[in-house]
Amino acid sequence: MMSFPDLTTFSTASVLTILGMAIVTYGMRLGGLLMADRLPQQGRWAHVLERLPGAVLISVWVPSALSAGAIGIAGAVATVITMIVVRNLFAAMVAGMVLVAAGRYFLG
Amino acid sequence: MSRPQSAPIRHFDADTIRRGAIACLPLLPSTMIFGAVLGVLATQRGLSLGELLFMSLTVFAGSAQFVSVDLWRETIPSVTIIVATAVINLRYVLIGASLRPVFRGRPLWVKICGMHMVADENWAVTMTQENLANPGFLLGGGIFLGIVWATGNTIGYLLGGGIPDPNVYALDFAFTAVFAALTVGMWKGRVDLLPWLAAAIGSLIGHYTLPGTWSILAGAGAGVVVAALTWREDMDDTAPKSEIAPEIAADTYGAPEGTYSTEAGK
Repeated sequence: MMSFPDLTTFSTASVLTILGMAIVTYGMRLGGLLMADRLPQQGRWAHVLERLPGAVLISVWVPSALSAGAIGIAGAVATVITMIVVRNLFAAMVAGMVLVAAGRYFLG
Repeated sequence: MSRPQSAPIRHFDADTIRRGAIACLPLLPSTMIFGAVLGVLATQRGLSLGELLFMSLTVFAGSAQFVSVDLWRETIPSVTIIVATAVINLRYVLIGASLRPVFRGRPLWVKICGMHMVADENWAVTMTQENLANPGFLLGGGIFLGIVWATGNTIGYLLGGGIPDPNVYALDFAFTAVFAALTVGMWKGRVDLLPWLAAAIGSLIGHYTLPGTWSILAGAGAGVVVAALTWREDMDDTAPKSEIAPEIAADTYGAPEGTYSTEAGK
C-alpha cells in the first residue's frame, strides 16, 4: 500500500464512465434551463418557477439538519437567526458551526 | 485591472467573475476537506489521481462523485455508476430551471458555457444576489469551487489518509448552515410561506421513506405543487423584484453591471 500514488493512468473504461457521468449531469443542468426558457414569463408558471429555488434549497438542508439530531436543529436555528440579524453569510455559517461543534464536544 | 468601458456586451465580465468567486469564499474550508476525503476514498477504490481530477472537473457534483467513487471497482460497474449519478443529480434539472433569470436574454452559447460549473453552493449564493442577471457571478463561484474541490482531491489523494474527520469541527454542518442561511436571502414575502412549508414537510417525508437524494425532489415537488395551487391572478404585483414583468425585471437585473441590453431578444 506504500507504493507511489497512481497519478496519470487513464483506462478507457474509466474515461468512458466519467464522460457518461459528465454528459448526464451537464445535460440535466442545461436541459433544466432550456426547458424553463420555454415556460411562460408571466402568470402561474412564472410564479411557480420563482418559488423553486427556495423549495429546492429547503429540501437540501432541512432533512440534513434534522438527521443531525437536536444539536443540528439548534445549529440551523442559530444560523437562520444570525443571518436575519447580521445579513452576513460567513457570520451565520460560523454561528451554526460553532454551536454544533460545541454541542458535540460537550454533549457528544 | 482597468476595465474597458467601451465593450457594449459583456456576458462574463472579469470583475463579476471575481465577485462571484469571493462570494463563495466561506465555503473554502468545508469544500477543501470534503474534496480531500474524496481523494482518500479514490486511492482505496483504484482511481488514478488524473481520473479523479478529470471527474471532478467534468462532472463537478460532490454527492454524486462520492457515491460513484464508492461504487468504483477493478471492473467498473459503468451502468450502475451512470444511473446513480443521474438519479442523484436529477435536482440539477430544477436548479437549471431556476437559473432562468440569471441567463435572461443571453444567447445560447452563454447558457452552454455558463451551465457547466453549476454546483449547489454557487447556485444558492447566486440566487440570493440583488442583481440576478449575472452569469459571470455564477461562473466565478463555480470556477473558484472547482479549483478548491480539485485541490482538496489532490491533497487527499497524495496524503492517502490522515485527513481530519470533518465531523469533529462540524465541517459537515457547514453545507447545512450555508444553505440554511442562504434560504433567508431567498425570502420574497408571504407568498413563499406555504410553498416553503410544503417543501420542508415533503423533503422530510422523502428523507424517511425514500432512498438517497430523492428527498430533495420530494420536497421541491411539494413546494412546486403548493406554489401552483396558491397562485392567484393578483399575485403578479406583490413581488416587485419578480421576473413576472419582463421589461422592468430585465432593466432591474441588467442595471448595475449587466450592460447587456435585452433588445437583442430573448
